[in-house]
Amino acid sequence: MGKRLNINLGWLVVFIGLLPFLVQCASTGSGAVQTQAKAEPAADSPAAAVEEAGPPGVEPPPGYEGKTWADVIAEARGQTINWYMWGGQDNINNWINGFVADTLKAQYDITLNQVPLVDTVEAVNKVLGEVEAGVETDGAVDMIWINGENFHTLRQADLLYGPFAQFLPNSPNVNWDDPSVNTDLGLPVDFYESPWGKARMVIAYDSAKLPEPPTTIDGLIEWIKANPGKFTYPAPPDFTGTAFITHLCYHAAGDDPPFTVEFDKQVFDETFPACWDMLNDIEPYLWREGQTYPESHARQQDLFANGEVFFDMAFNPAEASSLVAAGRFPETTRTFVFDSGTVANTHYVAIPANAAHKAAAMVLANFLLSPDAQYSKADVANWGDFPAVEVARLSPDWQAKFSALPRGVATLSNDILDKNRLPELPATWRLPMEKGWEENVLKR
Amino acid sequence: MGGLLLPFLPLLLWSVSHRWYFPAIIPTEWSWRAWSYVFKANSQVLPALGYSLVIALATTLLSILIGIPAGRAMGLYRFRGQTVVRVLILAPVIVPPLAVAMGIHMVFIRYGLANTLAGVVLVHLIPVTPYVVLIMASIFANYNPEYEAQARSLGARPGQVFRYITFPAILPGIVVGGLFAFIISWSEYLLTLLIGGGQVITLPLLLFSFANSGDNALTAALSLIFIGPAIIFLVLTSRYLTGRHAAVGGGGRL
Repeated sequence: MGKRLNINLGWLVVFIGLLPFLVQCASTGSGAVQTQAKAEPAADSPAAAVEEAGPPGVEPPPGYEGKTWADVIAEARGQTINWYMWGGQDNINNWINGFVADTLKAQYDITLNQVPLVDTVEAVNKVLGEVEAGVETDGAVDMIWINGENFHTLRQADLLYGPFAQFLPNSPNVNWDDPSVNTDLGLPVDFYESPWGKARMVIAYDSAKLPEPPTTIDGLIEWIKANPGKFTYPAPPDFTGTAFITHLCYHAAGDDPPFTVEFDKQVFDETFPACWDMLNDIEPYLWREGQTYPESHARQQDLFANGEVFFDMAFNPAEASSLVAAGRFPETTRTFVFDSGTVANTHYVAIPANAAHKAAAMVLANFLLSPDAQYSKADVANWGDFPAVEVARLSPDWQAKFSALPRGVATLSNDILDKNRLPELPATWRLPMEKGWEENVLKR
Repeated sequence: MGGLLLPFLPLLLWSVSHRWYFPAIIPTEWSWRAWSYVFKANSQVLPALGYSLVIALATTLLSILIGIPAGRAMGLYRFRGQTVVRVLILAPVIVPPLAVAMGIHMVFIRYGLANTLAGVVLVHLIPVTPYVVLIMASIFANYNPEYEAQARSLGARPGQVFRYITFPAILPGIVVGGLFAFIISWSEYLLTLLIGGGQVITLPLLLFSFANSGDNALTAALSLIFIGPAIIFLVLTSRYLTGRHAAVGGGGRL
């Protein structure tokens, strides 16, 4: 027994001895970049030189009165920024921890720490919890990838820092007059968040099985009834599922739906029953006869990948292409938008009011809007997300580069994607709609 | 041993699959994408593995340091209020962690323990300690302290008594308790997320974030990495789990 014991303890000692090495291994990645950054001062790069000043005639954000953008960069130097974001896709994580983190380190000596989340609401709850515990200035969350309801929650609790987005030197690249940019699910953005990408709902189908997909809502309903069990949609409140039924509810409410920013109970009670009727009408023809719905968009993707259902809907027009490249979707996957249009939105970054490193967060938000970052992000090889900047506002060189970007096999052309962009249902209407769906469709 | 590893075969297949649709029995196309992501310098997987190991081993060590004296008191002696103490020790197993986690979070924020490694180790001790104390108590219930008196009468100093008498006698309990502690801490998700605030990133955090997004290849690769250390520890300590050393089966009544 004594001998055996020694062997066991020996293994344990080896294991524990290896630990510092493992941790060291883990941190060498950032260490290497650090030395590189020191050898090569940031201000030399031409991109940084252009961004020395904020846009002329713009108020600096709170706490920076009388200061310039150069002061913000100086303050940000050496800071570590904790960016809380959804972390479920490896190509996005790769791009953030690779291109973005490396450039940020080399140009501004800022260390980026990506905090991957299952759901963005976790970051919102963390900020709420911290403020409740009295953490007013030294919060852990420096920046959140955010939009829609989470923006609503934090904005209404007055827990967002701002207005700051107008002060970013790259802000003029954004078309702030576009209602899909300056409002987020009906709520005015007011420069409390800075856009960094755009999304639009597209429907994916397998062209090998379905050469001519129905591109109108009536046509789709007809198809569903003719092909029982081959269609379903993620159950609201899944983001994608909610957005999908929005189209049917818009259609049921007529072509110009009267959904104002403020919730109107009377309009809701008048218009939505038609939508529930429509959804109940197709329910028996859905996957598993509508007894159950996929609980998330990821499950819907699985069903589509395995050929159980014929359609997948997604908010990223390039997602189908990258899933084809990753082997999750069949190579013959293609996408379409309804002839009457599909909903479009913008995704943003926001800074919590109690963030510890606001300067670094602003530098990052600005960097994300730079032509460099937007171009790299739009490349399908990296991510394929649509630019938040208006490409026409960039220099001719950049415009040429953007138009020369290869598109994925399943991605629609910009001409199609720019047309018939429908506004999303205002955030105030979403909860009633989600509840209404549960009561009138799911439980019936 | 083979039977133990069989359930992991599908995981292994998934981790190297590129295209695998129903009804194919094995993947139709293969790829190293998931594994190359796992070992990529910036993918956070290796740092998370390091964090997970440091946290689990520190938690194990601390819980044993607490468990030995506590188990000795519970197993060897009878004292007033012992039942109350036993219920209190068991309380973290009975009360769902979520019920108290929010309150603990508030306290930890105030003491600057939130978002730190030390805070995560401390909060992991809550679900871990009851198991270690109970196992140590059952070992000490079978333990005869008169051996210690005998050693002392032969001139052994307290350190020697512990080293040559107490430690060998309770070693099976330490190993089994340590295994429990390691595995519980290793697979903790909720407390790590809440107290670590997403800044102390352990493997379960990454695993959940990929499992939720439906990327099966990556989830499978991470699962295999996740299971690895737990299996190594299980194999190293398996002889103590069998009846021969009477660590579990032969424990006396509390």
